[in-house]
Amino acid sequence: MRLGMVIDLTRCIGCRSCMVACKAHNSQPPGTWWNRVFTPGASFHQSAVGKDGEFQMNFLPVSCQMCDNPPCQKVCPVGATYTDERGVVLVDYERCIGCRYCLAACPYGVRQFNWEDPRKAKEQAGYMKGYDYGYPEDYRDQGRLVYTPDRPRGVAEKCTFCVQYTKNGESPACVRACPSKARIFGDLDDPKSEVSRLIRERQTFRLKEELGTEPKVFYLAPAKPVR
Amino acid sequence: MKKSSFVLGLGLALMLTGLVTWGYQIARGLIVTNMRNPFSWGLYISTFAFFVGIAAGGLIVSSSVYLFNLERLKPFTRIASLSAFASTLGATAMILPDMGRVDRIFNLVLHPNFRSPLVWDVIVITCYMLLTFLSVYFQLLPDWKRDGRGFFRGWTNNLSLAQVQAISGRWSKRVSIVGLPFAILIHTVTALIFATQASRGWWNTAILPPDFIAMAVASGTALVLLISVLAVGKERFAEYQGAFKGMARIVAGALVVHFFLVAVDLLIHWWWGKPEGLNILSLVFGRYGLVYAVELVLPAFTMLCFFSQKGSSSFKSLILGSSLLFIGVFAHRMMLMFPSFNEFPLSIALPGLGIENWPYPIATGELKEGMPVFVSSWAYTPTLVEYAIALLPFGLVLTVVSLALRLYNFLPHKGNNSLRGKSGISYSNDTASV
Ligand code: SF4
Ligand code: SF4
Repeated sequence: MRLGMVIDLTRCIGCRSCMVACKAHNSQPPGTWWNRVFTPGASFHQSAVGKDGEFQMNFLPVSCQMCDNPPCQKVCPVGATYTDERGVVLVDYERCIGCRYCLAACPYGVRQFNWEDPRKAKEQAGYMKGYDYGYPEDYRDQGRLVYTPDRPRGVAEKCTFCVQYTKNGESPACVRACPSKARIFGDLDDPKSEVSRLIRERQTFRLKEELGTEPKVFYLAPAKPVR
Repeated sequence: MKKSSFVLGLGLALMLTGLVTWGYQIARGLIVTNMRNPFSWGLYISTFAFFVGIAAGGLIVSSSVYLFNLERLKPFTRIASLSAFASTLGATAMILPDMGRVDRIFNLVLHPNFRSPLVWDVIVITCYMLLTFLSVYFQLLPDWKRDGRGFFRGWTNNLSLAQVQAISGRWSKRVSIVGLPFAILIHTVTALIFATQASRGWWNTAILPPDFIAMAVASGTALVLLISVLAVGKERFAEYQGAFKGMARIVAGALVVHFFLVAVDLLIHWWWGKPEGLNILSLVFGRYGLVYAVELVLPAFTMLCFFSQKGSSSFKSLILGSSLLFIGVFAHRMMLMFPSFNEFPLSIALPGLGIENWPYPIATGELKEGMPVFVSSWAYTPTLVEYAIALLPFGLVLTVVSLALRLYNFLPHKGNNSLRGKSGISYSNDTASV
């Protein structure tokens, strides 16, 4: 099994629901975002890009690309970053020594570091009293702590394809949250899966393909009318 | 004696400042630095690379005495090894505060990932530290035997002084010959930490390792030169002028190689005209032009000065040239980070709109009133806390060197009683060599 994702940029409306769902389900502290949606070329999200009356507005969601040749894993001096048996790149929060080599190595800027204690950062953010968010329980992959609502200070983190859900066969939060069904998730090794079919039949691209990181996140190019 | 007490006191004070501030950083987290997700390595890693750089000189100087028969340099092998050992300690001390979880450092031993250049670096630096320590140890052994002090010398009890001297000479030579490849390796591997990363155009070049070696030969030798000149002092300067000149020429020659490599590297970045490459160059010469000017101009001055007859033979110009070179090398280490982290690897080209290099914003990792969470570049300048912690390795090096100079005889002179302490017997290490 090799889990992967196809993101249909024609369908993406840039609503950032997946960003919020990802942030909430995965208990990301203030200032930390595993999943980003921006309007390439624009200084402000959801603003049109262009000139001479010709404008366009496309959106590009970017989270961990789940590289098959992941530089973040290769540089990790202690093997805290590893690929599980389903091809998902994970971080062991109990082993990471916080060297941040992976932040330098990842070409996609998806790695996030816990510069401060996430619990304290949440408390200081000024949320309503008693408000908390995030899947509340730890999740261990063969003993390794790959999800915990409050990460230890000083470790790196990133998208896990919602390991706490997908290990039970559920879909990642971003896939479920997308109102326009722009995200398709599945097994790239299974030729019958929807992701495999789309990659086979449609023209897809991957980010920074030339670096040879072999991402398992594929994009269907936007085909929106220019208005 | 007064001067060395001052240096020792200064070293201890710097070390204490670094340690106390590090304690504060441990309590608060790396948030007290100005590093954030888009710019995740800063002053600490630069300072680390700086100390690795100056650590080379030690074994390069002592090895070249044996390998290339540079007899003139022989009186300075002790001080060279000492400076190498101290700088390696400094480099190691600097890397610790950079770690988010220094308490888990044992994972490097328990779960090493041999694919990671960081693990290679840990291995070669550890070996180098051991070798420089042994080099110092074997060179001091005859002194210790004679004076009946020092450590790890129980095994010499049944040997005569002459025997110990023979062993010392033989093993000093062996250590420095084994040490030379390691001296080369620590720079190669430290450079490979950066050069292996295809995500960062500024680093991803095979020129980086040879350039690190050239810089290391220059700055490492300059360190030995500086310490020797200062230790010998104005009065006895003339006596060793030949050796100093030799070292100055090594520095200048290595800088020629460095500038050659830099020129080729810049040319290659520019020639193809890739938007990413051009953006890096605009960062290097525009936004960070001042730091880059320091990196270029100061070492260039040192190079010319050390090639000149006058510059390589005057007390003052040797000190000035070496000091300016260190500032230049430090700027070089900082310039590893500035352009690299501010050219985001994920930049989008929108050809239809004439946009070739749109940096995809990165979350900083901190939510702060009045500050954006998503940024397209990060104007990193170290915080006061970072500067204070970066004093730690400087303090450590000063402390170790001044303590060693005070306790044992590292200086190339007979009967230098003021520094030798109580013992009146003089010893010159020239007699111990093979
Ligand atoms: S996108 Fe970055 S973090 Fe994710 S697997 Fe690739 S290199 Fe690692
Ligand atoms: S920060 Fe953690 S996960 Fe990243 S390379 Fe260092 S030890 Fe590995």
